[in-house]
Amino acid sequence: MMERYNVSLKVNGELVALNVRAGETLLESLRERLELTGAKEGCGLGACGSCTVLLNGLPTRSCIVMTAELDGAEVQSIEGLADGTDLDPLQERFMEKGAVQCGFCTSGMIMTAKGLLNRNPKADKGDIIRTMSSNLCRCTGYKKIVEAVEAVSSMSEPENK
Amino acid sequence: MENEYTILGERMKRTDSLAKVTGAATFTADIKLPRMLSAKVLRSPHAHARILNIDTGRAEKLPGVKAVVTAADAHGVKWGVFKYTQDHPMLAMDKVRYIGEDVAGVAAVDEETALRALDLITVEYEPLPAVFNPDDAMAEGAPLIHEEYANNINIHVHIDVGDVDAAFNQAHLVREDTFEAAGEAYSTLEPYAVVASYANGFLDLWMPNAGPHVRAKALSNMLKMPLNKVRVRHINVGGHFGARSEVSPGDLVAALLSIKTGRPVKLALTREENAACTRQIHDIKATIKTGVKKDGTITAKDFRVTYDGGAYSSTGPIATSIPYYVYEEAYRFPNVRYNGYRVITNKGIRGMYGAHGRAFLCGNEVQLDMIAQELGMDPMEIRLKNGLKVGEETATKSVIISGGLEAPIRQAAEKARWAKKRIGLPEGEGIGMGCVAIMCGFPMGFRSGSTCYVKINDDGQATIVSGIVDTGMGNESMAVQIASEVLGIPPEDINLVNADTEVTNLDPGAYSQAASFVGGNAVKRACEEAKRQILTLAAAKMDHAMEDLTIKDRTIVSRTDPSKRMPLRWVVREAFFKGEPIAATGAYMPKISFDREWIKNPQGQMAGTYSFGCSIAEVTVDRETGKICIPRFTAAHDCGNPINTMAVEGQIEGSIQQAGVAVLTEENRWSDGWLLNPDLLEYKVPLACDMPEIDTVIVRSNDPEGPFGAKEGGLTTRMNAYSAVACAAHSALGVPLKQLPLTPDRVLKALDKAKGGDA
Ligand code: FES
Ligand code: FES
Repeated sequence: MMERYNVSLKVNGELVALNVRAGETLLESLRERLELTGAKEGCGLGACGSCTVLLNGLPTRSCIVMTAELDGAEVQSIEGLADGTDLDPLQERFMEKGAVQCGFCTSGMIMTAKGLLNRNPKADKGDIIRTMSSNLCRCTGYKKIVEAVEAVSSMSEPENK
Repeated sequence: MENEYTILGERMKRTDSLAKVTGAATFTADIKLPRMLSAKVLRSPHAHARILNIDTGRAEKLPGVKAVVTAADAHGVKWGVFKYTQDHPMLAMDKVRYIGEDVAGVAAVDEETALRALDLITVEYEPLPAVFNPDDAMAEGAPLIHEEYANNINIHVHIDVGDVDAAFNQAHLVREDTFEAAGEAYSTLEPYAVVASYANGFLDLWMPNAGPHVRAKALSNMLKMPLNKVRVRHINVGGHFGARSEVSPGDLVAALLSIKTGRPVKLALTREENAACTRQIHDIKATIKTGVKKDGTITAKDFRVTYDGGAYSSTGPIATSIPYYVYEEAYRFPNVRYNGYRVITNKGIRGMYGAHGRAFLCGNEVQLDMIAQELGMDPMEIRLKNGLKVGEETATKSVIISGGLEAPIRQAAEKARWAKKRIGLPEGEGIGMGCVAIMCGFPMGFRSGSTCYVKINDDGQATIVSGIVDTGMGNESMAVQIASEVLGIPPEDINLVNADTEVTNLDPGAYSQAASFVGGNAVKRACEEAKRQILTLAAAKMDHAMEDLTIKDRTIVSRTDPSKRMPLRWVVREAFFKGEPIAATGAYMPKISFDREWIKNPQGQMAGTYSFGCSIAEVTVDRETGKICIPRFTAAHDCGNPINTMAVEGQIEGSIQQAGVAVLTEENRWSDGWLLNPDLLEYKVPLACDMPEIDTVIVRSNDPEGPFGAKEGGLTTRMNAYSAVACAAHSALGVPLKQLPLTPDRVLKALDKAKGGDA
């Protein structure tokens, strides 16, 4: 039998206690144990960013992080971004700017942008393009994704926030 | 022109986007059903081998394993889109024909157990000689991969119009060039997954698909089950681009496992399996011969194109034809001969692609520039001279009813300041133009049309039921936007039920750019009929002429006397009282030639209408490193009339990425039947930082048949963006680049070759 570990985590503000296999990724724990399927597995290899969540505030590819190592950590996934039906401005702008097509990359994109704006609320277009280049989208050509993040960054249109 | 519509053409928030930004949207791999099992597939390690024996006994005995299936559990029915292409058993029977081919499937209580069971299956193979490219496959004495395809030629499309040889004899200038392109990977961000659930004689299925009805039909054939017992359900699809057109081996495996166990089964492919074992894109080699008059008029074209088809037919006849058609739909060819050969090789299976045919299309456009140069013409002028206009026929007799190539060329050129930039670009910079036109819908027999049902509920809200399929492009939202415009109620009052074979009717699906033109028309017609029923009743109730009434903001209003009004829901309730609830059906069948057949009769009206487009790329090329950059890109697309302007822009922008920027990086690399770059690290999908500054130009031609004048929304860019880049690189270097993608090593090789004097 494979070794198992007890881990407690804060996921979207709630404390959860998990008993996980040694090789279990955070993505598996979220999707399979906690039934939070907003983070997607596009590659399982750290290449695409569709599994991105915030781990202690930093955008992290949950497919290459082992849950067993995360005792005491704080995780925020796309499901924890809105406050009830009150959406995060990033979610609003993604819809409004047409940054969502098939939607498979969307939660990873939004969480990556969230991490950027947490660190740098005044991110400019260059910062945004650089950061968002960590994630793949096959549908949009990225233009509207960059525009959506720009619209939330306080560098632009503060009245929109 | 003022927008005479309420919501049509607006930058409407897509109806599916809320679920997608909150993480609530369900994709196939997200599905969890009670007692669900995990499935894994045992795959062929050989490119070509006879199967002598399969022993599943040890795997079946492993605790946790619930079922193992092989071809012996299937019914021996092979899949093919056409009667004459049924060659793919989906679970290998007597032979395997590519590395990664599905040989056996296991369902177990969890993925680890299923994986361990795969190791316990023993397959005895007798390896056979294999071939890995069309030239070798067609050579005398090459091993035959399928008995029925002599010389491994799977499909030969032959088109011959006019007198090509005579026209070449009389031409002022004749050029012949050969272009080659490596095949691409679809790289849909969602890897393939399927959930099958068999209970009470019904098989329910969820998988990323572009047409649930065709999928259900294929599976009902392969499983020998009545069509009404196979139900393909609605699900979000994480990208398609051609990848999800056809039934997939995983569908059969999951279905058989679920039938055998009586439990739901999920099969989720890894990224690598998705690349190596689902369909990918053809490698293409195109020899193009063109004859012109002194003034640049094209008088003759002769094409010989070979497509590396991989191990099975797939959409063979279509894939072998489309690159040619989208070119003849753009330009006038009085004399033309096309010989397209799709050749079977021992490589992974290949299908249609949104950006299919880049060797052929780039090749034609680059060669056109070379001809223009020899004639001292502007590349734009030679395109304008040969571009089709409204009222003209294509070489194979399809009439153009709207648009034409001129408007997109002129509007793109103006936006990009073509005339100014073309002359006087500094060394190392180039600008190029690519054009194409696209059929809105392929001939698909009785499946070419679409149907929509609408009912108006007692609260005045509407439910529309349409076969329309959305694989990411926004077709669902498009249907709602059309219904909202016609019914005079806001989009949030409309529920769409779609793409579920139990409740929706036939629809061409999301393959052939038919959704807005065909599916949208059906939605419009159904809603118009419902509106007619509403207004008839309202006219009587309000004692007012029906012609003067319309619906706006959930209210019946007089067009001339705004004081005359009545809430829509009153009328709807009245209809219920009368026992005649508001319910309507609308259908649309495009005006196409049903005699047309891809191989036997390649002529007649191909599609109801055509969209036209022109892309202009600006590039810089570093002669030292061979690296090409694309700082600016302009794309003009004639979508007739945009239903959602923002969605059309999004399609164009995505196309610039998937064709225009991809032509610098994207290729599947092979070694003896092994795909070398099946993951997203080694296969280079362009990133945000690789994208140019983009200008999109939406050209309006108000199609007489399209719903509110609409045609398809953005595919021309997907089939001409690479041409614009290749032409721009040619203009920057003065050397044609005939090998795609335009990676630095290929650019340097072309430069070296030019120095050697034999470009
Ligand atoms: S799934 Fe984690 S990076 Fe792709
Ligand atoms: S919207 Fe489809 S991958 Fe980004």
